[in-house]
Amino acid sequence: MNQDLVVFKGTQDGLYIYIKDGNFNSIKKELDKKLKNSISFFEGGQIIDFKGRKLSEDEENELRRIIKDKYKIKIAEGVKEEVKEEVEIFKGIGEGMTKFVKTTLRSGQFISYKGNVVIFGDLNPGSVVEAWGNIVVLGTLRGIAHAGSNGNKEAIVAAFHLQPTQLRIANFIARCPDEENAEESKWPEIAKIEGEEVIIETYLPKK
Amino acid sequence: MGKVIVITSGKGGVGKTTTTANIGTGLAMLGNKVVVLDADIGLRNLDVVMGLENRIVYDLVDVVEKNCRLKQGLIKDKRYDSLYLLPAAQTKDKNAVKPEQMLELTHELREEFDFVLIDSPAGIEQGFQNAIVGADEAVIVTTPEISAVRDADRVIGLLEAKGLHNPKLIINRIRPDMVKKGDMMNIDDMIDILAIDLLGVVPDDEAIVISTNKGEPVVTDEKAMSGKAYQNICRRILGEEVELLNFDSEEGKFSRIMKILFGK
Repeated sequence: MNQDLVVFKGTQDGLYIYIKDGNFNSIKKELDKKLKNSISFFEGGQIIDFKGRKLSEDEENELRRIIKDKYKIKIAEGVKEEVKEEVEIFKGIGEGMTKFVKTTLRSGQFISYKGNVVIFGDLNPGSVVEAWGNIVVLGTLRGIAHAGSNGNKEAIVAAFHLQPTQLRIANFIARCPDEENAEESKWPEIAKIEGEEVIIETYLPKK
Repeated sequence: MGKVIVITSGKGGVGKTTTTANIGTGLAMLGNKVVVLDADIGLRNLDVVMGLENRIVYDLVDVVEKNCRLKQGLIKDKRYDSLYLLPAAQTKDKNAVKPEQMLELTHELREEFDFVLIDSPAGIEQGFQNAIVGADEAVIVTTPEISAVRDADRVIGLLEAKGLHNPKLIINRIRPDMVKKGDMMNIDDMIDILAIDLLGVVPDDEAIVISTNKGEPVVTDEKAMSGKAYQNICRRILGEEVELLNFDSEEGKFSRIMKILFGK
């Protein structure tokens, strides 16, 4: 079904070209064919932008050349829709993209990742890790960890020693109480949202 | 309309941050509305010294880049309701803020507060320039070491070039016993070189180390000598005439009584 790699869709502002996943050469060919077959349809109108499959800059330029130079169809310049991409909440906390960081993060170091993050080392005070998914620290977490940073409330933060400056999960922010009687846990701990609160418990509740 | 005061030194490690935290807290204790602003982007400390690190969500860079409203960036102190902190960003560097942005920020802050205290970074580069750009007055912190005094002198010159005249001097970490023995520069020597008004002298005090580590400015400690010194500095900033503390130890007090008794 090579037929539907390229689809034209009209909106109030003009035409969008939806491009589906597929071989770029087939996309090019199909676009060329469709434009040729219905050139009269495009006359006077203008194409606003490409949507769907991510195009590299080179690929996009090539398609633009076909549209503009070969078929003389106008393409709106610069009106590229405000990147209003509604990023979907990251769901890969059970199984998904994960970044492995093989070092300790020191004060001022900052990692942001659109997935889960695993740190082989400590997270020192003043360091920040922001992940769309879970954060696991194989060491002591003393800095700031923000799990589920694009909204996933199911995300967790886990560490061998959980002593964060601040913990954030989705849009919840938690910090230690000011009274310094909080005992250090000897066990690895895990932080998650339960109800409207961030709670911390041991990995292995039975021990 | 509040006053914007920058606390600077040139040399690092002389106690700018400690001084900022203590003056800020001290002024708030005396009923003023105060904001302390950490301009040391990338090496922030003021939040730690004030024990407010775990409350930070937004910072100076977020505020000047308008990622958040000014109100959201201000952190209320845990002890005094009229004291606020605007923390620096830790994951950026000094170039994250432009002087024009700082100027605008200080204008905005002085509308709301009686005192805006800016904790300047060490050095005389971009960070320092950002810290002084919106200031009406400057406080120079130095320690009784030739290197610190040299840097203070340089900074006073730079401030004057920027139109900040008559900075005030705080001499930090004085050890009266050593001064007495002639092993440490004395206050008069330093004032001789720097030729600016003395705002206060703070003794080297273990209480400062303890309070810094606890995140509670020493000015709140009635018993500490250094705390008293900072209280006096605050009262002088408010225009009161307060005599310099007498750092003489117990022995010193005794000898003074002897002096009074026997006119020696």
